[in-house]
Amino acid sequence: MVKIATMVVAASLLTATMAHAQSPAAIKIGAVLSLSGPAAVFGLPERDAIEAVVEEINKTGGVNGRKIELVLHDDKTDPSEAVRGVTQVTRDGVVAIVGPSTGSGVLAAGPVAERLRVPLLAPAGTASITDKKNSFYPWVFRAAPSDQTDIRKILADMAKDGKRKVGVFYQEDAYGKVGLDYGQQIAKELGLQIVASVSAAYTATDLTAQATQLREAKPDAVFMQVSISALGASFNKAARQVGLEVPLYANAGLAQKSFLDAMGDSGNGVRVLSIGNLPYEPVEPETRLVALLKARGKTPQGWGELVGSNGLMAIVAAVKSVKGDLSGPAVRDALETICGFPTYSRGKGCFSKEVHDGWGEDVLVITEIDRGRLKTRP
Amino acid sequence: MAYLAELAVRGVLLGAIYGLLALPMSLTFVTVGSIDFALGAYAVLAAAVGSTIGGVAGVAAGLGAALAAAAAMAAIFAGLKRVGVDEPITISLASFGLAVAIGSLILWVWGTRAFVLHSFDDVWVLLGIRVGPQSLINFAVSLLLLAVIHFLLYRTGLGRMMRAAAINPAGAELSGIPVTTLQTGTFVSGGLLGGIAGVLILFSAGLDFTAGLSLTLSGFGAAILFGAHGPLRAFLGGILMGVVEALSAGLASGAVSAMVPLVVIMVVLAAGTVGGVRFSGDRP
Repeated sequence: MVKIATMVVAASLLTATMAHAQSPAAIKIGAVLSLSGPAAVFGLPERDAIEAVVEEINKTGGVNGRKIELVLHDDKTDPSEAVRGVTQVTRDGVVAIVGPSTGSGVLAAGPVAERLRVPLLAPAGTASITDKKNSFYPWVFRAAPSDQTDIRKILADMAKDGKRKVGVFYQEDAYGKVGLDYGQQIAKELGLQIVASVSAAYTATDLTAQATQLREAKPDAVFMQVSISALGASFNKAARQVGLEVPLYANAGLAQKSFLDAMGDSGNGVRVLSIGNLPYEPVEPETRLVALLKARGKTPQGWGELVGSNGLMAIVAAVKSVKGDLSGPAVRDALETICGFPTYSRGKGCFSKEVHDGWGEDVLVITEIDRGRLKTRP
Repeated sequence: MAYLAELAVRGVLLGAIYGLLALPMSLTFVTVGSIDFALGAYAVLAAAVGSTIGGVAGVAAGLGAALAAAAAMAAIFAGLKRVGVDEPITISLASFGLAVAIGSLILWVWGTRAFVLHSFDDVWVLLGIRVGPQSLINFAVSLLLLAVIHFLLYRTGLGRMMRAAAINPAGAELSGIPVTTLQTGTFVSGGLLGGIAGVLILFSAGLDFTAGLSLTLSGFGAAILFGAHGPLRAFLGGILMGVVEALSAGLASGAVSAMVPLVVIMVVLAAGTVGGVRFSGDRP
């Protein structure tokens, strides 16, 4: 009797081992994203896209025959929570992390990633996160265009249209100031002239005086470095009211649905920088991501899904090229060798030892608001 | 010169909203000796509710929500007073707590979205200055409310009782004036005025959940600029703030323009204090 029981146990153990051998352990990938707090407008779509793509990869055979297991952490748009998140998911055994969502989160978590030896694929634009002076530079890769790239794209579009004189409206914080500084620097390179710059606090109740100052400077186009939807919409209203009738360009911070909603019909003709045009005019391969999202009942928002999935696809490409044991350092080394790997966004992702900013201007498009939708500009 | 005049006009129109916010500030300050920090939160709440429902019903519902929130503040005030706590600072802190609570509620229900409604698309040109009809409506409504409150305070029995309660609460109480009732009523009226300001901003520049505290501070700054002695001075303080803000936003560039209004407020306050010291011996 005892003998039979022993045999049964042995047999079941054997089956279990065999089953294990048939499907090797999953590859763990972390995602530390802002799922709540102000940056959630970008963090939630980042998560949606990453989950959709992971499901798709697992359905179609995984990576090198291994399934992906996603380890998710909400950084609450809080740098100290981002540090905690990176620590925790690394302890869970991830080989790379998409995130944190915000620039300040990446700057806080960078030293931790360096110590724990796990690469971060950051979907943030903040220039300083891939500064070579950072001791953690080897461990941080950018999965989005940088702020400078964004501004260069906008100013280049103005120059292409024959605009020479540019006005700047920016919000009074680090994001706004950085936009003005890069704007001045890049405008000079492109032969444009910043003729006036005005700013406002987040909660200004009237922007007609600022708009009047810009109108008096007679710019050919105005560039808005603003991330608060209400402020952007309010400036547009004020510009129309005082007769500042030149093309208005909004930077990536306003590439969000709440801005379109706040603008209503008065937003027609305003240009918005975007990564691709996922919600309204997706092109191949964006269309495939749209299909994956819709299959999961998600409405594409735009920016977040593309930078999130770019981060994940970079990790997948790196993992595929790792020979030997998979680990944080091995994936990091592989990341510096990948170029032109498959993603769900237009443009080409490319990293090297010297370049940790994976995406350039070719991923970006200038769109124009048309009755609450974004139309891609030719 | 025409440019300066244009900026000044824009400043007056902008200042009307500050003046409107300063009215309840001065009323609370005069009758209770305290500040209602939740004033801006009432405005944001009214805008949030108003933008969700939309139309005339939305405006009514928004004002109702602001009144309800202000009634909560009045209840807190009455409760504190009943248990014997009536230091102005405690009441101010309680209102600050309420402001934070309302802000969190708005963030929880509506998220980070902007509250904006569009009223008029056309633009009127007055003396060469392009002005939106909504700005003129804001100014007219604020002026009308100032007139109503001024009349109420200085031409009616209710106003006399309010002033008496402010000048000498104990004496007023002894003469049969229901001081606590008047004070709670003042808090509730603050909700109505704050709500109206919120609705006007909703149809003008728009706002989001973060606006509450800065609206409160705008109202507070305007109310104390010429001394918190009454609605007229409070309103004029708001107009002055608006003009200074518009001039600095229109003339100075970026960083400086943010600083100028604060500097001017400090200068005016300092000048007011200097004058006060000089004349303090004139009257007992």
